[in-house]
Amino acid sequence: MSRPLLLSIACLCAVFFLAGTVKPDEIADRARILHFSSIVVDTHDDTTQRLLDGKFDLGTHHDSGSIDIPRMKEGGLGAIFFSIYIPSSITGPDAVKRALDQIDAVREQVRRHPKDLMLATTAAEVRESRRQGKIAALMGVEGGHMIANDLGVMRMYAALGARYMTLTHSGNNDWADSSTDKPAHNGLTDFGKEVVREMNRLGMMVDISHVADKTFYDALEVSTAPLIASHSSCRAICDVPRNMTDAMIKSLASKGGVIQINYNNGFLSQEYHNAEVAAAASWLREESHAELKKRCGDESNADCYLVEGDRIMRRYVEQGRLPRVDYAKIVEHIDHAVKVAGVDHVGLGSDFDGAFMPFGMEDASDLPKITEVLLRKGYSESDIRKILGENILRVMAQAERVAKEMGSKDAAK
Amino acid sequence: MRSSRVLLGFGLCLFAGALLVGNVPADDISERARKLHFSSIVLDTHADTPQRFFSQTFDLGKRNADGHVDIPRMREGGLNVQFFSVWIDGRILGPPAVQKALDQIDAIRENVKKHSNDLVFCRTADDIRRAHAQGKIAILIGIEGGHMIGNDIRVLRMFGDLGVRYVTLSHFYNDEWADSSTDKPVHNGLTDFGKEVVREMNRQGILVDISHVSDKSFYDALEVSKAPLMASHSSCRAISNHARNMTDQMIKDLAARGGVIQINYEEAFLDQAYKDAYEEVAGGVVSNKFQADIRKTCGDDSECQMRESAKVVRRLTEEGKLPHVSWEKIIEHIDHVVKLVGPDHVGLGSDFDGADMPDGMEDCSKLPKITEALLRKGYSEDDIRKILGGNILRVMEQAERVSRGMESPLSENAAR
Repeated sequence: MSRPLLLSIACLCAVFFLAGTVKPDEIADRARILHFSSIVVDTHDDTTQRLLDGKFDLGTHHDSGSIDIPRMKEGGLGAIFFSIYIPSSITGPDAVKRALDQIDAVREQVRRHPKDLMLATTAAEVRESRRQGKIAALMGVEGGHMIANDLGVMRMYAALGARYMTLTHSGNNDWADSSTDKPAHNGLTDFGKEVVREMNRLGMMVDISHVADKTFYDALEVSTAPLIASHSSCRAICDVPRNMTDAMIKSLASKGGVIQINYNNGFLSQEYHNAEVAAAASWLREESHAELKKRCGDESNADCYLVEGDRIMRRYVEQGRLPRVDYAKIVEHIDHAVKVAGVDHVGLGSDFDGAFMPFGMEDASDLPKITEVLLRKGYSESDIRKILGENILRVMAQAERVAKEMGSKDAAK
Repeated sequence: MRSSRVLLGFGLCLFAGALLVGNVPADDISERARKLHFSSIVLDTHADTPQRFFSQTFDLGKRNADGHVDIPRMREGGLNVQFFSVWIDGRILGPPAVQKALDQIDAIRENVKKHSNDLVFCRTADDIRRAHAQGKIAILIGIEGGHMIGNDIRVLRMFGDLGVRYVTLSHFYNDEWADSSTDKPVHNGLTDFGKEVVREMNRQGILVDISHVSDKSFYDALEVSKAPLMASHSSCRAISNHARNMTDQMIKDLAARGGVIQINYEEAFLDQAYKDAYEEVAGGVVSNKFQADIRKTCGDDSECQMRESAKVVRRLTEEGKLPHVSWEKIIEHIDHVVKLVGPDHVGLGSDFDGADMPDGMEDCSKLPKITEALLRKGYSEDDIRKILGGNILRVMEQAERVSRGMESPLSENAAR
């Protein structure tokens, strides 16, 4: 009983120590207390890619990437969805086996760090992890192609702990259109709708990040549980297909769902996005690919590509070849979504270890800054807690209720 | 409320049992046998029923005219713990094997959900005891063939996490890391990776099943495994000299490490004369000359293959080309093991829905006959309870203890 308390005091001390250079004012103090007493949930982290070679240890502090246990503790991150991801070009049984390998990698890390991590599959388990002073580890499958058109496989992912599935990744799959591919199905096919209904039955959250706008509206119509966008931002601020329009955010919210803001520079900042597109057309793609190849060899070295890719992009910004994006941009998206749909429908979906982070949000240890900026903006403490984690926990609990109701209906048949 | 329902269920079972053997004069022993049987945990470690789960016509909850296992007949036979086998042809390897195995695991779990009034999904010996106390049938999963892990320890762990409680190291064909008893040896038993698989199974508390494996694979597994082994569905080679059965020496070595042999009711494994005749008319159990025809009729539909192959056997038996085998042969095998190593190392591994059953053991409703025959042979009630399920529960508990003692960091070499 005293251990979580001790731990949180230790955390607080660490933060005071770290923030020692900043002049502590009253708001900063309130922000720290608020942040470290909240359940902070991040719904999208690609850290799993780093776990696959079996050498990366989540338990030690790393200079590269954004996520490990020490930095999660430092940043007060209480629950993390590890993303199960393989490119959408890999399909069928190969995709299934590789997805299983990644689920195993996450579960093994949990087994390896029983004092720090706890596998959670429900909102109640996330809260229980918190009570025990542990970080809740959850899983999301990023791309419906990994079920290989097989509901049985999807059920097995759910049984192994996957709590959401993103209907597509960047390419269409056999039953859903992606936002970054040419539409082939006009949204969801009949089977795609069956997938959504089965996810409802399993209590697996339906994630509409990455999907085409039409796919989103189809899913919204079919799903009996609220939807989530595990890692998407606002198109009104940065006009890219991966972000959501205000109308979509409103529709999502009206059915109880939540948009979890993605910190990727290219989704946060229109200026950055435009510069990146222009640069890609001339020098960026070739130069960065050549540099990556030099540093990492072939693309199978996912961890190196992830870490070095980030370093290379950062250097381009420092050289003034790409515009600098500041972490305050994250809060701008949060604030926009709140203005559009209310405070109950926004959360955090960093895309850590899978995207190019803005300056000041290099890793999970920077998360308390979000709380402080929101507080300075005049957000109430209870609203901030919602954004940090309570909103997504509400959606999870709702998805669980829907599953339970469907289950008892099945049993009555 | 719950207890009265259990009691009612129990009473009904007794009544049904009494009804069934109604034509036999109810003497004192058969009365005792029924009481003993229907109050025991009766655990069968191998039934291939999941092959039927993909058929549109099969319903586990209804009494079926064909096959060997469904809920009504399990109730009737007092069969209250069943390992359902996940099986695909041993020549399917890699990711396709993994996905097909997942589909079967899912089908088993979905069937348990669908019939949750009767069935409950179990992973541990404790789970089984709890299910028994609630009057429910405990369902567990075994994977029949190491080829289904796709040569990947990580997949094995995921199967374990999904509730798989044993893995048979090989099926009819060698896999990438273990020799089968019915294939030409290529690995001289287990490869280094095969040994790692066994160790990981120990760590996961998954029972190491040595049915189907070559004698050398058995001895390699025996040496490597920290937990007792089991043969989920094998019989005695001393009685029917088939590669799928175990020699007396193997049974002794298995028992010396606390393991258990679960007797298979397949006619060719029970009876030498049948085995010889079958080989003469059909070739071996692995590849027989009727298979091509059956394949032509059924394609990959294993439910159909099962039905057709049963038809062939029936026809050959009627034509007098195959001898009749009595169910009492099962008792002979049990008794042989008991004489060899005592009553702590033998149990029941029917191979229902995956083998040709002897006369009198047409399906799982006939199981009480085993209890009665053992009682008539002079076996004590305690010993019979061990054979019916106590022994394998002990082995499961031991494997669970070993697993708890091995909660170690991940192996350096998890993927191949």
